[in-house]
Amino acid sequence: MKKIGFYLRIYRKILAQDLKSKMSYRADFIISTIGMIFTNIAGFVSFWILFKNFPSIDGWGYYEILFLYGFSLISLTPVQCLFDNNWSLRNYVYSGDFIKYCFRPINLFFYYQSEVFDVKGLGQLAFGVGTLVYSWIKLGLGFSPLMLLKVIVFLVTASLVMIALQNAAAATCFWIVNSFYILDLTLKFKDYAKYPVTIFSPLFRFIFTFLMPIAFIAYYPSLVILRPDAVPLLSWLSPVFGLAFFYLSYKLWMFGAMKYSGTGS
Amino acid sequence: MKRYLTLTRAGVLEALQFRLSMLIMVAGNLLYLIVVYFLWKSIYASAGTEIVNGMTFTDTLIYLVLATALFNFMEMYTVWEIGRNIQTGKIVLDLLKPMDYRRYLFWSFSGSFVTQFFFTFLPTFIVVCAVTKGAIPMGINMLYFAVSVVMAVMINYSVDFIVGTICLYTESIWGVNIMKQVVVLLLSGATVPIAFFPEPLKTVVYYLPFQSIYNAPLTLLLNSGQVLETLGIQLFWCAFMTIISRLFWRVSLRQITVNGG
Repeated sequence: MKKIGFYLRIYRKILAQDLKSKMSYRADFIISTIGMIFTNIAGFVSFWILFKNFPSIDGWGYYEILFLYGFSLISLTPVQCLFDNNWSLRNYVYSGDFIKYCFRPINLFFYYQSEVFDVKGLGQLAFGVGTLVYSWIKLGLGFSPLMLLKVIVFLVTASLVMIALQNAAAATCFWIVNSFYILDLTLKFKDYAKYPVTIFSPLFRFIFTFLMPIAFIAYYPSLVILRPDAVPLLSWLSPVFGLAFFYLSYKLWMFGAMKYSGTGS
Repeated sequence: MKRYLTLTRAGVLEALQFRLSMLIMVAGNLLYLIVVYFLWKSIYASAGTEIVNGMTFTDTLIYLVLATALFNFMEMYTVWEIGRNIQTGKIVLDLLKPMDYRRYLFWSFSGSFVTQFFFTFLPTFIVVCAVTKGAIPMGINMLYFAVSVVMAVMINYSVDFIVGTICLYTESIWGVNIMKQVVVLLLSGATVPIAFFPEPLKTVVYYLPFQSIYNAPLTLLLNSGQVLETLGIQLFWCAFMTIISRLFWRVSLRQITVNGG
């Protein structure tokens, strides 16, 4: 317990420094936030156009898909805000600067990720919450404290899946140096997390459930709220999967980092 | 011409150094194709009719998959390059080169056209042909398509260059670039075909330059556009955007502040 307090204190200090340095580029911060909101609005508009032409996707209506979209946006926020430094990992590894992280008496993974807090993710969070609430009301799902608790628990564990995917993708740079394409690929695939996994053939359903688990980002956890009468076992297990995927990706990341021998400079 | 081709050659050689990245990109592209296939298949399955807005499932599949392939083909990371060059100060060295900067940047990226064409566009094209069992008409439309793509590349480059020039003022790269990408991809029909757009939006989009980037070559390929009209509009945007981007760059060049460098 003491250890957690210690890490929280350190995190607060690093965060404050990071925010201070970000604030000196105020224009960049504002433009990036607008850019983020643009991306989300575009996603919304493409759904809107789609449902102007088609009544449903695989038995899922407009508001249900919007629910999935909002859910995925919220569960993608932590990875955007807290783990954005993964995108720079390949540069640190390539230039040899990564070695500086190895000489601190705290957890390497924690220290590396804590260094960057990406504020623009908060715009996405706001948009996601708005979409979720809007579709929730339109679907007439009702409200109870238990449902709220369920949503929060499943959102947290769903976000672990995306964090795990990104960690694993970024960690590949310890072996192949340029991990940009792998990271970019995972980024592209997360866009498909907002569609129900049932649209795929059994083989790809398996891949997107267990190998590249994007189905856990929105589909499985959302079923608990959207289709409470027929919740598959995988939905209830999604918190377990979230934790397991996160733990595995952490181990992979650390394994790569421990293997890292610097560039000699 | 020779000096330009030297830049192309250097670009090809550079890209071939990263063979694993190439492989991942090809694999990723194919996986992406599969996802798009399933998604639209189920969308069409729930429509109940074969043809929606004059496009069959195969048409839509070809359109969207090739739009992605074209996107990979045309993406030159111009905005990033200009932005980074401004931040590091490298732009000063590039400006001193005995070559127009706009042209220099284009040709130093042209190597990626060659590699991308062979590693992503061609494999995707062949797979699409195989999957749709030759639904892409092979004839004079291929010629129109090729001409149209060349113009699309030029319009896309001009748009990128204008956005890159904006970076001179904002010193923000990520935000500016993502805004451009989102606007271009949505309004050019790369995410959802323009034929699906509801009416007022469709008309507005036709008056914008973006539809000339993806929608124009793809409709020509699928034999569903007015050839002369489409190419004419593209030619207009090509000339217009080139002039605008050149003028904008000339005016903005006075703005450059390089820190140290």
